[in-house]
Amino acid sequence: MKIRAVNLTRVFHIGLSRIAAVNDVNLEVNEEKFIAVIGPSGSGKSTLLNLLGLNDYPTSGKMLIDSKDTALLSKKERRKIRLFRIGFVFQTFNLLSTLSALENVELPMSLAGKPLEDQREKAVKLLENVGLAHRLDHRPKELSVGEMQRVAIARSLINNPELIIADEPTGELDSKRANEIVDLLFDLKKRHKTTIIVATHDQEIVEPADEIYKIMDGKLSHR
Amino acid sequence: MGVAVASTFVIAVGATTLRYTAVVKEMSVLFSGQIIVVSKDAIVIQAVPIGGGMLQQAKLEREIAEIQGIDEKIPILLLTSIETEGILQPIPVNFSLGIPVDKWRLILGPTPLRENIGRFPRNESSKEAVIGASLADQYNWTVGKEIIINEQRLTVTGILDSKLALLNRCIIMSLTQTQALSNYQGSVNIVAIKPLEGYADEVLAKNIEQNITYVKALTEDERNDIIQPVLSQVETWNLGIHTVILMLSLILVMTVTTMNVSERRRDFATLDAIGAPLSFVFRAVLLETLLIGVIGGAIGIILGSIAALVLASLYTNISLVQFFPSIFQVAPPTYLLGIFFSIAAVCCLGGIIPAINATRMRIAETLRAEY
Repeated sequence: MKIRAVNLTRVFHIGLSRIAAVNDVNLEVNEEKFIAVIGPSGSGKSTLLNLLGLNDYPTSGKMLIDSKDTALLSKKERRKIRLFRIGFVFQTFNLLSTLSALENVELPMSLAGKPLEDQREKAVKLLENVGLAHRLDHRPKELSVGEMQRVAIARSLINNPELIIADEPTGELDSKRANEIVDLLFDLKKRHKTTIIVATHDQEIVEPADEIYKIMDGKLSHR
Repeated sequence: MGVAVASTFVIAVGATTLRYTAVVKEMSVLFSGQIIVVSKDAIVIQAVPIGGGMLQQAKLEREIAEIQGIDEKIPILLLTSIETEGILQPIPVNFSLGIPVDKWRLILGPTPLRENIGRFPRNESSKEAVIGASLADQYNWTVGKEIIINEQRLTVTGILDSKLALLNRCIIMSLTQTQALSNYQGSVNIVAIKPLEGYADEVLAKNIEQNITYVKALTEDERNDIIQPVLSQVETWNLGIHTVILMLSLILVMTVTTMNVSERRRDFATLDAIGAPLSFVFRAVLLETLLIGVIGGAIGIILGSIAALVLASLYTNISLVQFFPSIFQVAPPTYLLGIFFSIAAVCCLGGIIPAINATRMRIAETLRAEY
């Protein structure tokens, strides 16, 4: 999946203030690349990732996926891209509290209309890969923060997306677990030729990335 | 819980009203095709004269005999609330019918006696009675048993096994015996008249009223015309209560589901973010409200039926245990099903707006607000 952002801007109006969380960003992400976006808290990382992941609409500028302007896509088309082509790992995991770890991971595949046996088989495999084979039936509140993050990563992978967007995927993990997640992401990129965009503070992720960008007050710069 | 309480109330009120309107409607069967002659001042509910005083049997029969077009005339003494087993019930939960022994079938039709055991009283002076099944079960009366009614001893000669609730609460004796027992010797309060074939009942009724000025003669249609507006009004009130409670349930479900969706907006935004179709989110919310309706309705059906049973038990003085086997007579299954489906439909309806709201989450804003 090729992504291109052209003069991408997202402005929020809070009271009388106008805050450009993403300000005139130009970015090109080619297939099979591992991109790291770094920046302090409140610099606009999450807003940028939401725009790239089609979770939000830019105030101005363009977002192109495979050279197609996403502004021209219907809500249904955007939803389909999110379901089939993009896997999103949220900073706060956003697991559904009423579902077990296994059901959370199965969910996108179930929404994609895949057979139940395939869902189960793949979800179990992914949870095994992230070291949670013993936690399949546990609900999010019964899992540690690290375990929830790993469930969220497994969920983002279930539909074999071409692009994975991860917002601080190791932010809540200890260094051992963080390393495992980093290894997992790199392994994905190698094995499945997945494009990965990660917002992080973590040097473990930043250093081996193909490209590193820094964001500050909504402005993105290549590092 | 609110839905369960609402459906309990609907069923308790509705089933009770339905039961008693059905009983009133059933009464017309007793004197079907007949003219009933009652005191001019009596208020007639179907076949039952309320107030108006007694009529002198001999005099009235003599006067009726002079009118042409009459096939049969049956003098009847119908009494409400007689004292059974030393207890005088404050509201009419039993009826006593005094009918001449040779005229039973003209009034009761082919109503059988339970298990075909027993018989109707043999003659006018015999101290015997046929008892309605419900009364017999209430007081444990069986054929051959001696019972006390208005301080007089009578022998039960049969248990009436009727489909009519009224007859199941009836004590049927000979006319003379009923008059003696109630100190109304020589008096009746109804004369049922069967017109000769070819005689229009309206014409005959008018003729009776013209010739006997102290009575009114009511055809079946006229009796129905009197009661119909009352029944319609009761049914309208009942419908009104149902509608108000169902509307309250609708508002309750809508409010609770809106709060629920609001509390779980992060979940809905997440579903949207991972690409869940709008129809999935919409259906999920509706399914939840349907579930509220189904569970609340089911609890309401159970509690409402029990409440209707308790009300009927209080009204008739029949113990709950004895009443329990007739639970579906008090709260008919078709009525319960109707309420169940109405509650489920109302809950689904109440879920529509919150379901639409759930599909309109703005992912980034919702998730950011939850950080």
